[in-house]
Amino acid sequence: MIDFILPLFGRFHPILVHLPIGFLVFGVILIFWSRKNITTYLPILSLSFFLGGLFAALASISGFLQYKNEGYSWDTVKIHLILGIITAILSLLIWYRMKYSVANPKALKLQGLGLLVILTTTGHLGGNITHGDDYFTEVLPPDLQAFLGGESGIAKPLELPANNWEEVEFYTGAIQPILDQNCKSCHNPKKLKGELDLTSFKGIHKGGEDGAILENGNPEKSSLYSRLVLSEDDDDHMPPKDKRQPRKEEIELIKAWIESGSSEKSKLGDAAINVSMVEPFFKKDEKPFYPVVEVEKLPQDSISKLRELGFFAEIIKKDSPFLKVSCINFPAFSDADWSLLLSAKEQIVYLDLTGTAVTDSILAQIATLPSLTVLKLNQTAIEGADLGKLVENKNLKLLYFNDTNVSFDKLGALDGHPTLEKVFAFETPAADSGSSSQFTFHLETGNLSLPVLATDTIVY
Amino acid sequence: MQSLDRMLAEFAKQKLEKQTRRHFLMDCVAKVGGLAMAPLMFGCGTGTSAGSTGLNLSQRDLNPLSPLPPPYGAKAKSIIYLHMAGAPSQLELFDYKPELAKYHNQPAPQSLLEGKKFAFIRGTPNLLGPQANFSQHGESGAWISDFMPHFQKLADEVSFLKAVHTDQFNHGPAQLLMQTGSARLGRPSIGSWVTYGLGTENQNLPGFVVLTSGGKTPDAGKSVWGSGFLPSVYQGVQCRSKGDPVLYLDDPVGMSRNLKKNVIDAINTVNKEEFDAYGDPEILARINQYEMAYRMQIEVPEVMNINDEPKAVHELYGTNPGTESFANNCLLARKLVEKGVRFVQLYDWGWDTHGTDHDGSIDMGLRNKCREMDRPVSALLLDLKQRGMLEDTLVVWGGEFGRTPMQENREGKTQSFLGRDHHGDAFTMWMAGGGIKPGVTYGRTDDFGFSGIEDKVSVHDIHATILHLMGFDHEEFTYEFQGRPFRLTDVEGELINKILA
Repeated sequence: MIDFILPLFGRFHPILVHLPIGFLVFGVILIFWSRKNITTYLPILSLSFFLGGLFAALASISGFLQYKNEGYSWDTVKIHLILGIITAILSLLIWYRMKYSVANPKALKLQGLGLLVILTTTGHLGGNITHGDDYFTEVLPPDLQAFLGGESGIAKPLELPANNWEEVEFYTGAIQPILDQNCKSCHNPKKLKGELDLTSFKGIHKGGEDGAILENGNPEKSSLYSRLVLSEDDDDHMPPKDKRQPRKEEIELIKAWIESGSSEKSKLGDAAINVSMVEPFFKKDEKPFYPVVEVEKLPQDSISKLRELGFFAEIIKKDSPFLKVSCINFPAFSDADWSLLLSAKEQIVYLDLTGTAVTDSILAQIATLPSLTVLKLNQTAIEGADLGKLVENKNLKLLYFNDTNVSFDKLGALDGHPTLEKVFAFETPAADSGSSSQFTFHLETGNLSLPVLATDTIVY
Repeated sequence: MQSLDRMLAEFAKQKLEKQTRRHFLMDCVAKVGGLAMAPLMFGCGTGTSAGSTGLNLSQRDLNPLSPLPPPYGAKAKSIIYLHMAGAPSQLELFDYKPELAKYHNQPAPQSLLEGKKFAFIRGTPNLLGPQANFSQHGESGAWISDFMPHFQKLADEVSFLKAVHTDQFNHGPAQLLMQTGSARLGRPSIGSWVTYGLGTENQNLPGFVVLTSGGKTPDAGKSVWGSGFLPSVYQGVQCRSKGDPVLYLDDPVGMSRNLKKNVIDAINTVNKEEFDAYGDPEILARINQYEMAYRMQIEVPEVMNINDEPKAVHELYGTNPGTESFANNCLLARKLVEKGVRFVQLYDWGWDTHGTDHDGSIDMGLRNKCREMDRPVSALLLDLKQRGMLEDTLVVWGGEFGRTPMQENREGKTQSFLGRDHHGDAFTMWMAGGGIKPGVTYGRTDDFGFSGIEDKVSVHDIHATILHLMGFDHEEFTYEFQGRPFRLTDVEGELINKILA
């Protein structure tokens, strides 16, 4: 009948732990506060260390009960528990010395500080058990997290080698990384939600509180797979709705692994899977088209304002700071209007001034756009005198000046531009000159044509 | 429960949308018998100026075509979709089947026909060998027949899908499936989805323009560029290369442009008052559209005019101003995209080569049709390339299905011309430009070109890929209708990763 008493007392642990912290911290502060007339404060001091020690002992007992009854592993609680007991013993020792021997302020200070260190460590370890050991680091910027090392919040996504993926071990090389990324945060030996540990082959085969999660060869009956494909609204859906959801391809691999018998040692090549299933995980060294730099986002008001002025202005994708600006409905845009764009100077990556009234002197202004990647100056009065200024645009990749008066000799100034990939100069003196120097960028001069063939006119 | 709530909310919204002022007045007269009741019934609506009470209006409420950012990085900003209505024969253009030639005129094996349905073929038809000469081209070594001699030089610019399949074998449903993702009426077309999702760059032109040639519009009718359940402002605007580009665009005789402006200003003033009284954002959208129509009157004839194009351009495309032709439409497509139109849809009718007459014969009619398409399509790709437009313009080419490797035997009789029946199991499409890896041949068909045997691609896969290139995840891009979210790809569609750059 009274079986419940002990677990219930265990559950008071989270409340009890705060009492020794309060008393003991207060006690240590008081040691320093009292300075030379420590005897005056002695009754309060000894009371606070007595109460601190008493509650630390109660907290240790309740903590031990909780460890016994709530399924925590010994490894998780080991140091926390030992330090908790030490805290209790030390506090009571300090109390005992205060009560039965002459107080030595210096020694007291030292003992107090030592106790404080142990107390803080104990508390921190306890917090790690309930909140996870990434509780503090989680909110730090990713760079700082990486700098601090250790376990960063999220495991890396699965990556497979394109050339010999067949040789990768199915479980260790593919399944465990997927589980680490999607399931580990709740189903690890420390947290054990649903009493399920998905960080080891043993744990997966052991199952959770509802029993086994694997039925070899039958993914539909294995909750390791079936709960992933339930509708997100379903209560049994995993991972929970608000958590990161695994990719379709990841789920497919888990399914294939179960179908193949969910063994520990088999290779990807042994299972009945084809390239298309693993292809999404191949390492891609794709370079993003637009620059990867931190730029402040332009407020929506500023974008609306640009639109009211007559520009087409839109960010390149949701939540990106980068802006695409075009003068398609603003043909009157001229060099003097440059100031209208200054508010978006940092953000513009794509600028289309086709058909506007700009002249060569705009190039010096354009050169001040740090992120500019695509620049279109088609059908303008540009002659290219200042084209060399665009060397300042450290991210420029595509440059268009079709249907302008830019001549071939002006292009040399852009030779060696580190990022410039293509220059379009169709319908310009540069294209018509027929000169063919080799530049570091690809020069498209156009004038492409189709031959007249006999078959063009044969009617069958 | 949730879905019931959603349905009720949608019903209430639709009911409100349909309730115009006139309906309301009519209701009042009929049921209440007096306008006096109006303020009482509208209660919260009248008397207060919603416009000034901080009604949260997005730019989309005011102008449904105003731009929106793509959710993900887009590789293409515009699309030119070349639909060969009637379905060209892949076996004479791109899918080279030397084995089929060996069995020419022999009865098709029963294993091929079992369980298959054809539009016209009955009984056991004979196999029909390829009627074109094939050769490999470019560094990619893509097979292209001599029906398309100009296009042969562009082999390295495009990415072929050799094993596309559809489950429809009649033109109407198949065209609907290809353009709206469903064989039944009522779904928005690709162009509508894209303009709904992204808006358009040029505020003086429609975002979605349709050009037709071949003397007929597609069998499925205008629904192939319809907006389905999306607001009708996103449907395709059909422009003509002959006569007025848009019907009724010109001012009537005797009406000057100034007078027109006055009329529109007056209407807008009334509408503005209406908005101040009721605060319905639809009214603001309407004001915007009147103004856009007014601006379009200048911009559309300008961009649709090809008379002033240089001679070299006319020679390149083979264009002939003042006529309705596929070549003119290809040139217009380039001009429209250059002017910031989001989606240009071309339909060229006349590819339905059953072999019932000369025009519909595989060896003659199809050849003539190819001649009219070969140069303009090649010219379009070259022109986009030399202007640097291929960097961010996606070009898609294809029919609604393919054609059989068998000679058609309509009503079981032998036909006097060579022809092929409708066939959806395997046909060829290609894509080029923004975000497409050039020079890829993806997918393989069996020795007769009857079915795909490797890397098959469905119509939904093509839609998923198009949306991906425009910066969408086809599974996330939805519209709430009839109590559930709808997608262009419905519940299907896989990205064709192999052809992505």
